[in-house]
Amino acid sequence: MKEKRKKREVNELAKKIVIDPITRIEGHLRIEAKVEGGRVVDAWSSSTMFRGIELILKNRDPRDAWYFTQRI
Amino acid sequence: MDPVLEKDPSTETLSFLNKKVSRRDFMKFCTAMSALLALPASFAPRMAEALTNAKKPYLVWLEFQDCAGDTESLLRATKPTVAQIILDILSVDYHETIMAPAGFQAEKSLMDVVKNNKGKYFVVVEGSIPLKDGGVYCCIGGRSAVEIVREVCGNALATIAVGTCAAYGGIPAAQPNPTGAVGVKEAVPNATVINLPGCPMNVENLTACIVHYLTFGSLPLTDKLGRPYFAYGKRIHDNCERRAHFDAGQFVRRWGDEGHRRGWCLYEMGCKGPETFHNCPTIKWNEGTSWPVQAGHGCVGCAEPYFWDKMSPFYKRLPNPPGFGVESTADKVGAGLAVATAAGLLIHGIGRAIFEGKKEEKGGE
Repeated sequence: MKEKRKKREVNELAKKIVIDPITRIEGHLRIEAKVEGGRVVDAWSSSTMFRGIELILKNRDPRDAWYFTQRI
Repeated sequence: MDPVLEKDPSTETLSFLNKKVSRRDFMKFCTAMSALLALPASFAPRMAEALTNAKKPYLVWLEFQDCAGDTESLLRATKPTVAQIILDILSVDYHETIMAPAGFQAEKSLMDVVKNNKGKYFVVVEGSIPLKDGGVYCCIGGRSAVEIVREVCGNALATIAVGTCAAYGGIPAAQPNPTGAVGVKEAVPNATVINLPGCPMNVENLTACIVHYLTFGSLPLTDKLGRPYFAYGKRIHDNCERRAHFDAGQFVRRWGDEGHRRGWCLYEMGCKGPETFHNCPTIKWNEGTSWPVQAGHGCVGCAEPYFWDKMSPFYKRLPNPPGFGVESTADKVGAGLAVATAAGLLIHGIGRAIFEGKKEEKGGE
């Protein structure tokens, strides 16, 4: 019983921080971090943009590939 | 800043900008901008006066499905150096790559501009907007690109779509366009949009557009594709330094051959200059140092809509376009291309329909 209560308190103290967008970088990034007692205990990063360059490159003249992939 | 000018005590500085820019450099800039905008030199003083008294317009820079190439172009605004000052006299309130705030603070800066300056701010958009699957392929701060662009561009004074992605969909919209990417005008049809395509756009043209607005209170005249005439009114081929070799029938036939070493015409190597409208040959890149054809590579046609599909393979020679001559205008060549593209898209559409049909059948099994 006591332990359960303790756990609940810890959970209440845990905070989730979301930083989206991350700036001063090239591209789009979102960071989510779980903070407990002033320490990051878990974190997730996600790229929030997709273009499908691989799919676009399929069936193209291989000599053109550099020009497409430069744009990543 | 030019260190020589800074040391020279006789150099008058313009206090209005609180920047050390000599009067001479400033006037040189105004004259260069007048030339770029195809205005008579007599407009330079008027431009100088307008820029001196200009109120600081708000500007937000949005990035969606982009590679930050246009941002790189912006950051390299070095010729003339005053171009940086011109960008400094703008109030740039949001630009993800260079701004200090992040997360919700960043988004607050953007929304503050939209709410407090409705109809009075400029938007520069870089990158395409994905529409497929509810716009999930590009999200910022938990909102989709299409949601953001409709709100921000819909309430703006004007939107400048920089780069071919923001203008026409660009590389994400290349076949098979996996994310349903479109340009700004297609995503927000009611917005005032001026297109500065190119991969990337040339920052000189962006500066010129803003200078034009500050001087005349309006954006420059555009063609059917929404591109300003001053930058996209002339065909690359007609201003090409290698044009004489084309006319003389002197072509590069293989990379590194005699003709290539002598700087002959790159048409046979797949140069798309004859179907591309841009001012690369005159303003060039990297402080006016060079441009692709000068460096010995053909033009890929990056300022044209859907060039990733229309102009590729990039090393394949263009078929002889009928009625080919110096008198052709962008609209004429554009009309010819439009027919070809429409046919191509139709075939592509049918192909996709068949393919999707097959997929459905498979799913059914």
